[in-house]
Amino acid sequence: MTAASFRVTQDGQGRHHVQLLGQWSLRVSLNDFAKLKKSLQPFFADNFTKWDLLEVHQLDAAGAATLLSGWENKLNDNISLKPEHAELFNTLISLAKTSDKKTVSDWLSPLNSLGKGVLQFMHHIVEFSRLLVSLLIEIAYLFRHPQDFPWREFSANVYKSGVNALPVTALLGFMIGIVMGYLMSKQLHTFGADVYIVNILGLSIIRELGPVLMAVLVAGRSGSAMTAQIGVMRVTDEIDALTTMGISRTLRVVLPKVLGLTFVSPLLVLWTSSWALTGGAFASNLELGISFRFFFDYLPLVVQPINLTLSLLKGLMFGFVVALVACHFGLRIKPNTESLSNSTTSSVVTAISGVILVNAIFAILTRSIGV
Amino acid sequence: MPNSPNQSSINQEIICDLQNICTAFGDNIVHQNLNLKVRRGDIIALVGRSGCGKTTLLRHIIGLTKPKSGKVLLFGENMLIMERVAQRRLMQRFGVLFQQGALFSALSVFDNIAFPLRELKQFDESVIYQLVMHKLALVELEARDAMLLPAEISGGMVKRVGLARALALEPELLVLDEPTAGLDPDRSHNFIDLVTQLKKSLGLTVIFVTHDMDTLASLAERVAVLEDKHIIADCALHELIKSNHPFVVNFFQSIRSRLEGL
Repeated sequence: MTAASFRVTQDGQGRHHVQLLGQWSLRVSLNDFAKLKKSLQPFFADNFTKWDLLEVHQLDAAGAATLLSGWENKLNDNISLKPEHAELFNTLISLAKTSDKKTVSDWLSPLNSLGKGVLQFMHHIVEFSRLLVSLLIEIAYLFRHPQDFPWREFSANVYKSGVNALPVTALLGFMIGIVMGYLMSKQLHTFGADVYIVNILGLSIIRELGPVLMAVLVAGRSGSAMTAQIGVMRVTDEIDALTTMGISRTLRVVLPKVLGLTFVSPLLVLWTSSWALTGGAFASNLELGISFRFFFDYLPLVVQPINLTLSLLKGLMFGFVVALVACHFGLRIKPNTESLSNSTTSSVVTAISGVILVNAIFAILTRSIGV
Repeated sequence: MPNSPNQSSINQEIICDLQNICTAFGDNIVHQNLNLKVRRGDIIALVGRSGCGKTTLLRHIIGLTKPKSGKVLLFGENMLIMERVAQRRLMQRFGVLFQQGALFSALSVFDNIAFPLRELKQFDESVIYQLVMHKLALVELEARDAMLLPAEISGGMVKRVGLARALALEPELLVLDEPTAGLDPDRSHNFIDLVTQLKKSLGLTVIFVTHDMDTLASLAERVAVLEDKHIIADCALHELIKSNHPFVVNFFQSIRSRLEGL
């Protein structure tokens, strides 16, 4: 193997003769066409240079295209070629990009993309409602045929998104509780209102923080997993296989996920909130010297029990929203990696935004209860 | 011709040399003391029953997996103990067509073929455009197919695009895993013609795995039979038919009976 090279001579009239030698092919791994092109650049620029390719052993499309780009995509009389190479050059010339499409700046494009965005949003809303309705239809069907309830999938989902989430939700709840406890006890201590730490922590954690924290974690953990799973099932035709067996995909795939997460979320809210409260009690014990016994005895007196009911209701709704959004995006995944990643991202982002939106609406509706 | 074909092929340089390969998945021994040599210019088919380790052997050859013991020499070098730059250079000397095409699903056909060329960082976009179009023409695809995504094209086209991508860096060795699986007879016939023609015009060496008798009969110049953990036969197809190894006899039974039925 001989790497591609060239030799330059000058004739009496000052014209350059460039003789190309060796193998102008990608097969010779020593060849670097970028370097060759750069060192040939002065001769490409000179229109009177004579080119001699008769000594080239082997020429492939890569070598030929590199030379052609220097010759501005045409052959002329200054270039002497072997006939078999001429054929390759002519093929490549015919394949050259004919017209570079100029990017015309379109003043309407922002408006266009806005319109597209709105249409896509509407499409999502329609599809989402369709999924919701078909889910309700399946639930109605299950009332008449209770034996068709997918218990196995349901319990698998309860286990995966509930039981497996226990350690991480406990850890996060505990740490958030500690942080909140420390920050608030500092503030309250300045006013000498130490004992109100129980009121503040109790109300904020039970009513707001516990459910929202749980929902964010579950959206990131189980929501993304559900979207990816349904997406891959779609890509590998598993959903179609289910349908051909006469099994409704909503019943077997969507329903157990939605019901499973809806069922397990209130329990997770309880779990997360109790760990957050423990963390808070821990911090107030260290910072303000409030005993655990006092903290938990005093808690039910200052936080009305209705707050717990509200918190469980929130958990129920959040679980439902996260699972339904996850299934919605999962069912829209197209068979390519880009779509899979985009849908999983949108699923998590939409689920969290949805949860916060629902939370805000719920807060307004229940503003006079329990505070 | 001064030499018989056999003689001339012996004089050729050995491109791929498998020496005493042993592979095991857990307790399941797949290859034991397996030896195979591929010479420059060969078109060699690897056949054997399903699950006998043909694809695993291909993956050893292209360096994706490492045998438990034994050596794989590709172009006379052991890829697994090379330094990174040299390894990458060596990998540019062969092209692989995977069974499902393995096109990058997020990239268009054009970008799929342009990908290895761009990675070289030697060409500007106008040259890459010409080269991609040249490769597309080589595998008989139209320029207007270039902007489609892999999900939008048919199985036959996926294989062609995969082949074009494998050919992008002008490899010396082409490794095909089930090149005609999932194609209808007409398309698979066209695909075989394409490979044969490319082999001649580009001077390729081809190693492929197949289950399809038509592909075997029309493409392979040599057949290596993998059975009972090693290569039991490595010869031309017409010599193989004379063999009386029970597996070979079984394997070709169907063809014989069909031929007799005609």
